Amino acid sequence: MSKDMKFLVVDDFSTMRRIVKNLLNDLGYAHVTEADDGTTALPLLRSGDFHFLITDWNMPGMPGLELLKAVRADKRLAKMPVLMLTAEAKREQIIEAAQAGVNGYVIKPFTAVTLKEKIDKILDSHSNAA
Amino acid sequence: MSGSAATLQSEFGASIAALSAALAASDEQRFYGELDALVQRREFALFGELRKLTRDLQDALERFRIDSRLVDMAEKEVPDARHRLDHVLKLTDEAAHRTMDLVEQSGPLAERTAQQAAEILPMWRRFRARTMALEEFQSMIARLDVFLDAARVDMGSVRNNLAEVLMAQGYQDLSGQIIRGVMKLVTELEQALAELVRLSKTHGETRRGLSDETRRGFGPAIPGINNGPSMSDQLDVDALLSGLGV
Repeated sequence: MSKDMKFLVVDDFSTMRRIVKNLLNDLGYAHVTEADDGTTALPLLRSGDFHFLITDWNMPGMPGLELLKAVRADKRLAKMPVLMLTAEAKREQIIEAAQAGVNGYVIKPFTAVTLKEKIDKILDSHSNAA
Repeated sequence: MSGSAATLQSEFGASIAALSAALAASDEQRFYGELDALVQRREFALFGELRKLTRDLQDALERFRIDSRLVDMAEKEVPDARHRLDHVLKLTDEAAHRTMDLVEQSGPLAERTAQQAAEILPMWRRFRARTMALEEFQSMIARLDVFLDAARVDMGSVRNNLAEVLMAQGYQDLSGQIIRGVMKLVTELEQALAELVRLSKTHGETRRGLSDETRRGFGPAIPGINNGPSMSDQLDVDALLSGLGV
């Protein structure tokens, strides 16, 4: 997968967005955009052409699960790889996210290695499915 | 006549008199007119009582609801909030120490690399100026070999440490989420207490002078929170103390 891919990172905490952006840059992905909530992310997704969505769950306006569902419901966005990056770790939540079509789920606190592994895994299966 | 009998007389006397007169005169229309008016007045009074009772009952239920919510909060949620804030302390403490550990490890490595480069530099400059003897050249090559390898390893460690420092900042997101949760509880407590005060209709005097809060202390200054005027710096404190003869 090309390092030109455009990532959208969604989290209501700017420190977390900054950490993920730095990690993505370290992995060679230079195009990283940030959004602070599902409500601001959705229009960005609809108007930009992003290749990968990384989102938190617990956000005040539109939580990550709702954002995921909105993405899957939108014809143009439905196939986008979505990785959830969140402190929410209940079994029911993970199951619900999986049923809503999430491609990966990383719980906080996480390591750089874990993030890389999950992104690579998603991209591998994504290109295989294509 | 007793007090209550006098009240009844003043309230109903005229109507009773009118009723009797109408009855005596066999004036059916007037009789029923007076009777209806009397009944209406009675109903109105009764509804007034009922309304008051309902309001009292609602207030009592409201108090009970708030009281039981306060009990819930006192027994479960406030201790829980305390644990959560304790955890925030722990997270911030660990993140600060982790970061400082990494800084303390990285400092000497960067120092060493800079130091060794500084030592080799004069030799290198002599080489570039073609004023270097052969033995010194060979010695410089050997030192450069060692230096380049060491710099690669050491700077690699520094690079890794910096990446770890980055990850350590994740505490802010986690502790921020916890703090937000506690803020919700504080808001609920504030609202419940305000409601309780309103329902109790207590008008306690606020104490002037050294309040409980002043006695307990306000903690470090936080931008955006105004606890009233404070001394701006040590010079101000010293000036105040010397004015008091301390």
